[in-house]
Amino acid sequence: MAELADKTNLHIKPQKRMSPWAVARRKFMKNKLAMVSLFFLMTISILSFLAPYITTADISRVNIGSMSLEPSAEHWFGTDKSGRDVFTRLLYGGRVSLLVGISCTMLIIMFGTLIGALAGFFGGLVDTMLMRFTDFILNFPLLVFVIVLNAVFFGKLGGVPVLIAVISVLGWGGVARLVRSKILSEKENEYILSAISIGSRPSKVILKHLIPNVLSTIIVQATITFAAMIVVESGLSYLGFGVPAETPSWGNMLSASREPDVLQNMPWIWIPPALTLIITILSINFIGEGIKDALNPKSLR
Amino acid sequence: MNNIIDLKNKDKAASSHTKKETLLEVINLKTHYPIKGGFFRRTISHVKAVDNVSFSVKKGETLGLVGESGCGKSTAGRTILKLLNPTAGKIMFDGEDITNLRGSKLRQRRKDFQMVFQDPYASLNPMQMVGDIITEPIHNYYPKKKSREIKQEVLELLNRVGLPDDAYYKYAHEFSGGQRQRIGIARALALKPKLIIADEPVSALDVSVQSQVLNLLNELQDDFDLTYLFIAHDLSVVKHMSDRIGIMYLGHIVEIADKHSIYKEPLHPYTQALISAVPEPDPKRKKQRIVLQGDVPSPENPPSGCPFHTRCPMAVDKCSTITPELKEVKPGHHAACILVD
Ligand SMILES: Nc1ncnc2c1ncn2[C@@H]1O[C@H](COP(=O)(O)OP(=O)(O)OP(=O)(O)O)[C@@H](O)[C@H]1O
Ligand SMILES: [Mg+2]
Repeated sequence: MAELADKTNLHIKPQKRMSPWAVARRKFMKNKLAMVSLFFLMTISILSFLAPYITTADISRVNIGSMSLEPSAEHWFGTDKSGRDVFTRLLYGGRVSLLVGISCTMLIIMFGTLIGALAGFFGGLVDTMLMRFTDFILNFPLLVFVIVLNAVFFGKLGGVPVLIAVISVLGWGGVARLVRSKILSEKENEYILSAISIGSRPSKVILKHLIPNVLSTIIVQATITFAAMIVVESGLSYLGFGVPAETPSWGNMLSASREPDVLQNMPWIWIPPALTLIITILSINFIGEGIKDALNPKSLR
Repeated sequence: MNNIIDLKNKDKAASSHTKKETLLEVINLKTHYPIKGGFFRRTISHVKAVDNVSFSVKKGETLGLVGESGCGKSTAGRTILKLLNPTAGKIMFDGEDITNLRGSKLRQRRKDFQMVFQDPYASLNPMQMVGDIITEPIHNYYPKKKSREIKQEVLELLNRVGLPDDAYYKYAHEFSGGQRQRIGIARALALKPKLIIADEPVSALDVSVQSQVLNLLNELQDDFDLTYLFIAHDLSVVKHMSDRIGIMYLGHIVEIADKHSIYKEPLHPYTQALISAVPEPDPKRKKQRIVLQGDVPSPENPPSGCPFHTRCPMAVDKCSTITPELKEVKPGHHAACILVD
């Protein structure tokens, strides 16, 4: 055996091919529906975030000369009742809707994972207290709170950042519960006992051993949350409690359809945001399903 | 390589263990799992997985711990390594009381006692490369060590347990059960511990692979000066590994003695039944097989008196009232049965 040790070769190279993530990526790439959805979502995102370079029209200026125009070569999707170009507003609206969705999702996932992981790993009193707090948050009526907040501060305290903050602070409860239950079952595995036995600190056990092994659940939950948050933003904006009216978002654009005249006679105003919203939500859900299939941990054991 | 019969005939500890130092001493150890129930999730009862267990292990020897599934072997092993908190009792390791050690003091001590786990599939993190799995313990205790040095060390460990260099960058799912168990052994060895608790290290493996892994453990014991607590659920595996053997039943140790005494003159009826179940290699030497009646009682609600009396072929009336103490019947041979004198 001693000869063997002398022959050890420090220059062997990593061969990432078989890493669990690489296996999952290959599997995901074979999923046509998920790949098409990814393509759609990427296209919508890129167009939205490059909006200033794609259209030169002004999004906010009311143009009395060109109100409620049908789609034409100049205005691809027509104009709305204030004479603003629908295509331009669609792109800028996408920016806001996607930004709200992504920000809320990231904050919710981060906070939910943190609370859930701490509660699940430490158990006992820590678990009891964190879960009481989570139950409180879960039972908090988000919609009522947002509406009351709006009524109280009427316009003074509006804007996208406030909306993101409110939704995120009240939205992490479900993720925390899910992550906790995943961690509870994952920590029964002997590799966690082993990690403690080889002297890894609790923070390392959580970050290096537990989180990576429940990450597939977290990622899938993130896609569900992302879709849900876009819907929440649109819903609130549609009702007039979300993004301020002068900022375009898909929900704000849709709220124009509350007028029967627009709904019946000017479909070019509300069909583009409605369709984009539906395609985006569907794409996100199909991507989520694809990730779920690709990350099935059973295939690794 | 497949022949493991003669490995322990050196009998190094059996003759000399009286004068060797004690590495591990367990005194009246109890580990009870609370059972929660009801609306308020109160503790309504306890599973007495380990109940009043005492034994000691000398430096360099192997103590085999044998018992049926569910008798509390893993719980005992995990409690001794402080992966579970004992309900009562005392654990002395290398002259120090580690029963109530916590936090960084405990972490510092963990370096000296490691575990090889039962399940080769659940005991390796599927998201880590093998190299990282074995690097982690070294990194935890020697954070200033150069990564080149650590890598050299890890590759040597891999080779020592019979794995090639390129295992370093592979993931656990690319290996067979036996190879995974070797990875687990390398991880336990990385800190050069004094004590290794091997919790049924081969029970999940194919019979053809079992002896290879047992051989490896035996070789490593000599090379690394290891003391083993070797847990198994049948006597045939333990026979070739141990110097002394402890027999567990329902959270209790019912008999403990050196290997030869256990095999030649088992005192406790439970041990006798276990020995009669070991397949006899020589078909001419027929022996009476003792078949135990009934099931193992639940450790949540153990029988009164002697825990074994419900299945004991020799039980008398007194057995259900008197709880037998583990007492030294012959020098170095302890048994817990009121019928033995
Ligand atoms: N976390 C737990 N909570 C409650 N009861 C438990 C827990 N873990 C184990 N037990 C119970 O404690 C008893 C002893 O379990 P343990 O795993 O120590 O047995 P074992 O001897 O290692 O068995 P095996 O050979 O199957 O590994 C069993 O009855 C088991 O059901
Ligand atoms: Mg066990």
